[in-house]
Amino acid sequence: MNTRMRLQHSTISRVYPVQLANRYLTSRIIPLIAVAAVALCVALVVIVVSVMSGFLDMLRASGRTLMGDVVISCPIRGIPWYEQLIDTIEKLPEAQAATPLIDTYGLVRMPYPEGSEKEVVTANVWGIEPQGFNRVTDFSKALYWKPPTSPEAAALMLPDDPRLKLNQNILNDGLDLMKSATGEPGLVLGMHVSIANERMRDGSYRPRYQWFMPRQSVTLTLVPISAKGTIAEPRERVFPVVNEFKSGVYQIDKNRVMISLSEAQKLLRMDAGTLYDMQAPPNADGSLPVLGTSPAKVHKVLVRAKPGVTPDQLQAAVSSAYEKFAFDISQDPSKAVKAPRVESVTILTWEQHLRDLIAPVEKEREMMRILFSIVYLVCAGLVLSIFWAIVQEKTRDVGILRSVGASRLGILWIFLQYGLVIGAIGGLFGVGLGWLVIHNINFIHETIGQDAPAWSYITSFLIALVSLAMCVRGAMTGVLLSTLLWLVLGITLAIVGAGLMLHRGTLIWDPSVYYFATIPDQVDWFTAISTWFGAVIFSVLGASIPAAKAADIHPVRALRYE
Amino acid sequence: MSKFLLEAKNLRKTYTLGHVKVPVLRGASFTLAQGEWVAILGSSGSGKSTLLHLLGLLDECDADSGGVWFDGDPVADLKFSARNSYRNQSVGFVFQFYHLLPELSVLENALLPNMVNAGMSWWSKRAQAQKQATELLDAFGLSHRLTHRPAELSGGERQRVAIARALANQPRVLLADEPTGNLDTKTGGEILDLIAAKHRNGLSIAMVTHDPAVAARADRVVKLVDGCVAG
Repeated sequence: MNTRMRLQHSTISRVYPVQLANRYLTSRIIPLIAVAAVALCVALVVIVVSVMSGFLDMLRASGRTLMGDVVISCPIRGIPWYEQLIDTIEKLPEAQAATPLIDTYGLVRMPYPEGSEKEVVTANVWGIEPQGFNRVTDFSKALYWKPPTSPEAAALMLPDDPRLKLNQNILNDGLDLMKSATGEPGLVLGMHVSIANERMRDGSYRPRYQWFMPRQSVTLTLVPISAKGTIAEPRERVFPVVNEFKSGVYQIDKNRVMISLSEAQKLLRMDAGTLYDMQAPPNADGSLPVLGTSPAKVHKVLVRAKPGVTPDQLQAAVSSAYEKFAFDISQDPSKAVKAPRVESVTILTWEQHLRDLIAPVEKEREMMRILFSIVYLVCAGLVLSIFWAIVQEKTRDVGILRSVGASRLGILWIFLQYGLVIGAIGGLFGVGLGWLVIHNINFIHETIGQDAPAWSYITSFLIALVSLAMCVRGAMTGVLLSTLLWLVLGITLAIVGAGLMLHRGTLIWDPSVYYFATIPDQVDWFTAISTWFGAVIFSVLGASIPAAKAADIHPVRALRYE
Repeated sequence: MSKFLLEAKNLRKTYTLGHVKVPVLRGASFTLAQGEWVAILGSSGSGKSTLLHLLGLLDECDADSGGVWFDGDPVADLKFSARNSYRNQSVGFVFQFYHLLPELSVLENALLPNMVNAGMSWWSKRAQAQKQATELLDAFGLSHRLTHRPAELSGGERQRVAIARALANQPRVLLADEPTGNLDTKTGGEILDLIAAKHRNGLSIAMVTHDPAVAARADRVVKLVDGCVAG
């Protein structure tokens, strides 16, 4: 048969690269090292970005839960005729509900300790209309002390959880901000305002030192501030604590208390009254002439959007509605007190309102992404080095394959598959490891936060001793590798043991710094999947460069490679 | 049609080692007729392996001058894919140091040229190729070693596997580079017996050796001295 005829009918195989890549992967230890390197890189990125993203999501969710979608604010002067404003807003097609809010600061005298020297804490005091507030925010969900909603929910609670013994009254009292037994106006504390609540590992709380706050009373002191910014005489009132709330944002749960709107208005002198003409001469009975009614005022109005309406759309609609409201009031001769002009109030979406809180976290997350992308590039370099070593080691094999007719592309394909499989499997392990760590991150954090148990460092020391004994034995038999490995293991375990023995609980995730009492434990799947793809791409690229170099070597030179 | 199966005319080849140019072949010519066994005899550095590599297109940098013809066609004109096919189907290589893939079993090493050649049709050709390779290995006395790795074999066994691999695609020419150079005399003799048996069946062989006793087994001996054919 003619040579040229035979050559023209030849084909290039795509089968042997698969078989060879498979053999290379399963018969050497170096692919395992590459898989481990890829897995660790991926896990690192997944864990860090997931925690940061979860942190941001929690911040956003909590912020929205507490603020509604749009907030109208006029902090000092207050918004008069707010009932009319709320009526106007609730007629908007974009708005679902609106509620007034007093937002001020005050002093809370706690019932502890025993004796006359009680602890006093500063607090952010919100005056709310409970029903309206509940329509705009998730207030009822945030109330902590309530009986389980179903037998299934009860089954999930620990047997000593005090909520199992509660009845519906405590929830109703919280929702009404009133102690139903006495008819007194009540107060709801943030979960961490008092020192009385101890958080358990499962996230539930137990009253500490027998101070179950919903059975206690506190004294609230508020300082009225006039529209001109002058301070009037402080007013105080004793409130029974009717419940406590947990928003999830530590800073809020640590600082905020809630009372009814009318009580807040009375304490701040923002309730309705009669408006006298101070300039006119007194009446015959000595009283001042009446100009009209001074309406009750609030600092803020919170608005919730209808489903499908974005906060930005609602913000635009509310701005127009406020402008019309202010104009209508200004044109109404029966209303002596006018509403602030639209330029004097701020109308912000919840995200804009919490910008100071959210923006640094967003920046921090992006910074983490950039930093860990650099770490990722370093890891890609590591993978490239490993592949370089693998391909160098296989250079003679490349010569053998070329001598039996393998093409350059066939050679390249062997190592590309090698990279593909290592990247894919390493990436999968990395995502799995990331998921495992993220899923248990609070447990891990709490474990680190405790002193190491004695058995852990005793075990480390014992294994270290055995390792060092094996090292001495290895040295006596003259086997250098095993001597060195036992020595490294022994020293490492001795250091680990010493570290565990000296370890004292470390609080890494400090809720007073990071807002939340728990670390976000949900995987950011977008990041996980994109990181997995990145791992595959980097591994294939890392393999392709040395593979292409190997494929370019002339067969005879590859065969002579030492 | 050429009267020679494989022919090299006036081959010149110089390698550059660092800044030094080392002439290896200085106008060497060589012929191999169909069914002929030619031994290329020469001392170390005489250029005999280089000649063999140029004949088999193992060195993709062609000769500086001169050329190689296979069945009358110049191999220098072949494209990359055709050169791969030439190495896969027209010639088979046997090396002094066996050059088996350590991760593959004896049978898989012997099947390697078939796998490279088969393309996606490998799965349909696999059973037939395995049968042929098993028969060949059986004839070489390796039936009990099919699943063993090269590291588990003796030198003679490894070289027999290498010969089985070289013959897997039934090439017309066997190019053997010191096939007994790494073996003791007895085992080397056994390997030469195997090669001789294949030669009797019509296989053309070009064998490089520095051992006159080994060269004596060939039909014809070509002596290479300082890159030129002597005499």
